[in-house]
Amino acid sequence: MTTTDTCRRSFLRHGFGGLGMIALNSLLSPKAFAQSIASKGVVNPLHHAAKAKRVIFLYQAGGPSHLETFDYKPELAKLDGKPMPESLTKGQQIAQLQGKELLCFGPRHPFKRFGKNGELLCELFPHIGGIVDDLCIVRSMTTEQINHDPAHTVMNTGSIIPGRPSMGSWLLYGLGADAENLPGFVVLVSSGKGGQMQPIAARQWSAGILPSKFQGVKFNSIGDPVLYINNPAGVNRKLQQQSIDAVNALNRIEYGTLKDPEILTRVAQYELAFKMQASVPDLVDVSKEPKSVLEMYGANPGDGSYASNCLLARKLAERGVRFIQLYHRDWDHHNDVKNNMEFKAQETDRATAALIKDLKQRGMLEDTLVIWGGEFGRTPMSQGGNGRDHHIKGFTYLMAGGGIKPGISYGATDDLGYAAAENVVTVHDFHATMLHVLGIDHKRLAVKYQGLDARLTGISGDVVKDILI
Amino acid sequence: MAETCFRCHGPDKSSRLANMRLDLREEATKPLGNGKTPIVPGAPEQSEILARIFATDARKMPPDYSRKSLTDAQKQTIRRWVEEGAKYEGHWAYQPIRKPALPAGAPGSESPVDAFLEARLAREGLHLSGEADRRTLLRRASFDLTGLPPAPEEVAAFQNDRSPEAWSKVVDRLLASPHYAEKQAMHWLDAVRYADSSGFHGDNLWPAWPYRDYVLRAFRDNKPFDVFTREQLAGDLLPNAGVEQKIASAYNRMNRYSAEGGLQPKEYLAKYGADRVRTLSAAWLGSTMGCAECHDHKFDPFTSKDFYSMKAFFADIKETGLMPDRGESAWGAKLLLATPEQQAKLDALTAAAAEAKRELDDAAKQLLLKIPVEANDRPWRWQVPVSAKAAKGSVLTIYDQQEIDSAFYAAGSLKFEHKRGDGLVVASGPIPDSDTYTVQIRPGAGTWTALGVDVHQDESLPGARLARGADRFVLSEVEAEMNGARLPLVLATANKAGEQVDGPAMAAIDGDARTGWAGGIAEARNYMIALRFGGKVTTQADSVITIRLRQEASLRRAVIGRFRVALSEAEYSWPELEDGKKQLDSRKDDGPQATLNVDVDHGVPADVRDALKAEPEKRDEKQQKALLEFYEFSRPELQAALIRSAQAEMARTLFFWSIPRVVTTEATEPSVTHILPRADWMNDTTEIVQPAIPAFLGKLDTGERRATRLDLANWLVSKENPLTARAYVNRVWREFFGTGISKALDDLGSQGEAPVHPELLDWLAAEFQEHWDIKQLVRTIVMSRAYRQSSVVTPELEEKDPDNRLIARQSRFRVEAETVHDTALSLAGLLVDQFGGPPVRPVTPPGYLLAMNFPKRDYSESRGEDLYRRAVYTQWQRTFLHPELLNFDAPTREECTVNRVNSNTPLQALDLLNDPIFVEAARVFAQRAMAAGGKNPIGWAFTQAEDRAPSAAERRVLDGLYRESLRQFRADPKSAAALVATGEAPRPEKAVETAAMTVVTRAILNLHETITRN
Repeated sequence: MTTTDTCRRSFLRHGFGGLGMIALNSLLSPKAFAQSIASKGVVNPLHHAAKAKRVIFLYQAGGPSHLETFDYKPELAKLDGKPMPESLTKGQQIAQLQGKELLCFGPRHPFKRFGKNGELLCELFPHIGGIVDDLCIVRSMTTEQINHDPAHTVMNTGSIIPGRPSMGSWLLYGLGADAENLPGFVVLVSSGKGGQMQPIAARQWSAGILPSKFQGVKFNSIGDPVLYINNPAGVNRKLQQQSIDAVNALNRIEYGTLKDPEILTRVAQYELAFKMQASVPDLVDVSKEPKSVLEMYGANPGDGSYASNCLLARKLAERGVRFIQLYHRDWDHHNDVKNNMEFKAQETDRATAALIKDLKQRGMLEDTLVIWGGEFGRTPMSQGGNGRDHHIKGFTYLMAGGGIKPGISYGATDDLGYAAAENVVTVHDFHATMLHVLGIDHKRLAVKYQGLDARLTGISGDVVKDILI
Repeated sequence: MAETCFRCHGPDKSSRLANMRLDLREEATKPLGNGKTPIVPGAPEQSEILARIFATDARKMPPDYSRKSLTDAQKQTIRRWVEEGAKYEGHWAYQPIRKPALPAGAPGSESPVDAFLEARLAREGLHLSGEADRRTLLRRASFDLTGLPPAPEEVAAFQNDRSPEAWSKVVDRLLASPHYAEKQAMHWLDAVRYADSSGFHGDNLWPAWPYRDYVLRAFRDNKPFDVFTREQLAGDLLPNAGVEQKIASAYNRMNRYSAEGGLQPKEYLAKYGADRVRTLSAAWLGSTMGCAECHDHKFDPFTSKDFYSMKAFFADIKETGLMPDRGESAWGAKLLLATPEQQAKLDALTAAAAEAKRELDDAAKQLLLKIPVEANDRPWRWQVPVSAKAAKGSVLTIYDQQEIDSAFYAAGSLKFEHKRGDGLVVASGPIPDSDTYTVQIRPGAGTWTALGVDVHQDESLPGARLARGADRFVLSEVEAEMNGARLPLVLATANKAGEQVDGPAMAAIDGDARTGWAGGIAEARNYMIALRFGGKVTTQADSVITIRLRQEASLRRAVIGRFRVALSEAEYSWPELEDGKKQLDSRKDDGPQATLNVDVDHGVPADVRDALKAEPEKRDEKQQKALLEFYEFSRPELQAALIRSAQAEMARTLFFWSIPRVVTTEATEPSVTHILPRADWMNDTTEIVQPAIPAFLGKLDTGERRATRLDLANWLVSKENPLTARAYVNRVWREFFGTGISKALDDLGSQGEAPVHPELLDWLAAEFQEHWDIKQLVRTIVMSRAYRQSSVVTPELEEKDPDNRLIARQSRFRVEAETVHDTALSLAGLLVDQFGGPPVRPVTPPGYLLAMNFPKRDYSESRGEDLYRRAVYTQWQRTFLHPELLNFDAPTREECTVNRVNSNTPLQALDLLNDPIFVEAARVFAQRAMAAGGKNPIGWAFTQAEDRAPSAAERRVLDGLYRESLRQFRADPKSAAALVATGEAPRPEKAVETAAMTVVTRAILNLHETITRN
């Protein structure tokens, strides 16, 4: 098979140096990289000096309202209940409000000033307010897809066509993994109260056209933390080791005859699998964390909550996982945005702030990029008199650490919070910026696919230089 | 030049610079505005492109910012080419296929495949390798042709067959096997993105499997590829189209569909159409037309107009942007696949149901003349059970005064309550596949007409929040008893939420436990069923009524999570319990019987109340219907006719849903197709296009008539189109050598790879175009010496052809995901040999579908033999493909895939080691070895898997593992019992020995050799 041949060649050429040697060769053929378990990626050396080594993406799935979180719109409050100016909405895409009367819907919760610059944030988020001086608030995000499934796909892969690699896969492919016995791209999913629990397809962390070793590995809160990480009933660790030793011994005998390097790769994968079997269950057990840490996050070990996942994210980051993506669901507030936002704030405010504080006090924030945001925002118009519909023209992202300027805000929506009006940031701009702080030129991280250079940023995207340190 | 120059000087006019293009000779030799001429044939000195590519200053081409560069050798080649006259030959893939003559000097007896290869190899001083040994050969052919390893007996027979036709006999046997189709279909199903779910958002299941079976039959029966093409693209348009052709046309409906509320229909129709163009382009043309959705193709001559003209062929497919995913209208056009006998029976049942309903209506209308409709309250009285027990493991708890948390959806939001249970019965503990809940109530003295069972939705429950471990609950049978005597139930009626199309309420009292009342479609809080007693039931103060809720559906764990029971004394109460005021009032008295016999609702549907409020003359049709139905439901005089009608309707419904169906293509008036610049679906002011094939490939001659999908299909398999045969033959080649003759299976265009053996590719393509005979193509390949050669790499080959593109040897690669699965089951003797049928659900880790919603999903694995089917039949859930398939690189089929990757990851190791599917296979394989292996079960098992005896060294490893496992399991028999309890296959008697042998067979299943085709 084509995927193995270059590797095979490299193996026989070098015949030493372990599997890491293959990574060099993979610059010529990305597919060859599939077979290596190298720690280096194809961007080697980096395109430029990196500020960040890893990313924690706190993905708020469902589309959080920017208007009840971090984008204060007093003018919208004044027009509450009045028709939305048609000049804004005419000819624009709209989701569930198709054919409905469009009425302004003021923020449902008061805002307060936080931090040195007196940033106005919704008072439901006091903990995030407490660390606002560490944040870069981007209030001018836009996207192009107005329904959840494709919007997730665009945010994760830069394309609406399924099959493109997700950003975590790109990073792993580009930078390789630092973690010894863990996957380099880990996905965690939690959900809570209020709002509709939108489905999240496994496509969102798929490696797509990249080899599947770059796909995100989902850690589960019930059952095996990683699929099939636990031994079968009746097989203890010792017997598992003996079994794997036997498999590897037999495979090595076969290698002795055939000299097919693919066999050695398999041996290495079984060794890695066995190591993961020990490291993963230990890792996901947050119960051994000090009580003060558990309290800081608001985590109860084993509850699978957003708070527990934030704590787990920190542990994963410490161990060198390249891309950690937490999905927290139920932000889809078509109904009762007021009360549902309170649920969301209770679930996420403390833990989000705790993660950033924790990273900072461990000296990790400077090389960890933390991102908070969802697939789109919500309309400044009401839906059903108490909710908000999907909205793609303007919404808010938070970024912290990893080469991003702290204590600033960037971009703005118009007075009614409808469209990004100043310093518009597209999904591709956001991706380009993320790759930039990791030492990657987004235009040069590409694989050949169907005759084209497939990239995370497609054919557009500019680094948002103003928010870089 | 395609790589370095065409991006700016190629086919795409939007990105073209200096108004100059080099991909067409006519253009490239024209003088430019500045007087210079890019290419002057025969005169390199006057050719501007050479001045520019050799420039070292700012005029250099390609420029630095393009990040492209030419090597010195490439520059010299371009110079020489200009010198020699700048001959444009056109891209190889678009040239007509002319069957090449066999290389000179090739022996007449030689397979043309070998003749072409040898001729090419000779130029490198190489030749084909010698033939592989017969064991390797048979394993290779069995994996490649059937996706299964050969039995050792088959290997022995082949080894012992010294006749010259030995190989030919083997090939014919394998090609004739239905397993050949199961293997071949897999690749085609990837290309057409066949799946059992719709792919977007809720990703609900749809009836597509009859189309998958069509594909299987096509390969089994060797349907000519041209017919195969026509039937799929345009089966519905063929003259005298039969059922088979209409099933085939489901091809056009295999794109992803969305049912997400709030989607913009136009946007999704644009997505569906574009998906179809991409798929057709990759699967038939080996081309990347998808690039031309936004702009003209950068490298190949496909224009944006070509893209939308291709899309226009499909503009006649009847569909909606928002595709309903539930109920009878789900998925739009469907075809019922009834046999003539089934159709006759269905017609009879339908007529009988209509007749019974008419009789009921007539009787009701007669009666209405005498007695008007009444809306007086007909309250239900909740019962607090005195006991509730489950037969098979569930733990039932009665919550009366104790408070309980509940979470449910109301008006689109999740609501939370913490309040007294008031008789709520909650199941917890182990979740059995089936169960029977026995509930006893003591209603006190009274006279009762009906029993109510109210199933409560709760967020804590998986699936549709009703059943404990499945997407929906199924209440097979309800039985009631008093004083040891059965209380017959004669009519069952469900409320609106509880009307599952295929699980009618009457099925809960039909005496057949295979059928039942099912609930799980609506996002409603309560699913209630009213069960009418055969006669009025009179109770004394201390009478006890025993109610049995039997839940024995084939769907596992479809057992109810929370429910209440109620009785009615009215004639007759509609099954609707709401949390009304009366119930709240009753809580004020906190006595033990506080909620007993409290009337909790009026027992009249809300729409009936509303209809009655309206003036009789002003009632609309819907209101009149609601009133009539409630009248029929509630008038005792009509009861006999009502029961007859309900029974007839149930019989029709159950039979109707037992008949397979498939989504299909129905043609309708074609919609208008615009060219959408940058794929902007909101722009409909642009040029309108008619169906047409890509302009540079020709023009369909349909005169004034609008070209159809059938015209397209005919062109695809005509001699005028060189791409289909080349693309298909190239893909088939890859299955047997690991790499295509041109490596880029999805791109025969200029960015792909020129074929390494162009004459061979064209010879095979030309042969294929003659009869479109897939088996003949496969046979030609497999019969060649090239196919049969050894895969051993010599140092010379490694040096000269490290990637094995010249094919002086065979290749080794891991078998596909499906074959990994099938091999393990086959060695265990578990594999069930059944061709076709509805998708099956092998064991999946708990909670695997947790991230899905609309509805929330749980997974109920199949029962019995369906646990052990070939993986081609596994339910293909696009957003969460079975992890075993996903881990081994099977595509999700959200998008057309013609080139599966083949990776080697730790997750694969974990899967093969620990997935209960493989552990069970190892366990049963061990039992088989102990039964059949005599004194040498380890050697026997190894031989089954590898078709050879283990070497002494291998034997030592396996024996050592067995001894060690045996020692440990003897010391810890509980662990042995736990290991051999994996899976549902019959358990062994000797747990300790079997467990130890399972460790050995598990190691064998994990061997590289076991899952590698050599």
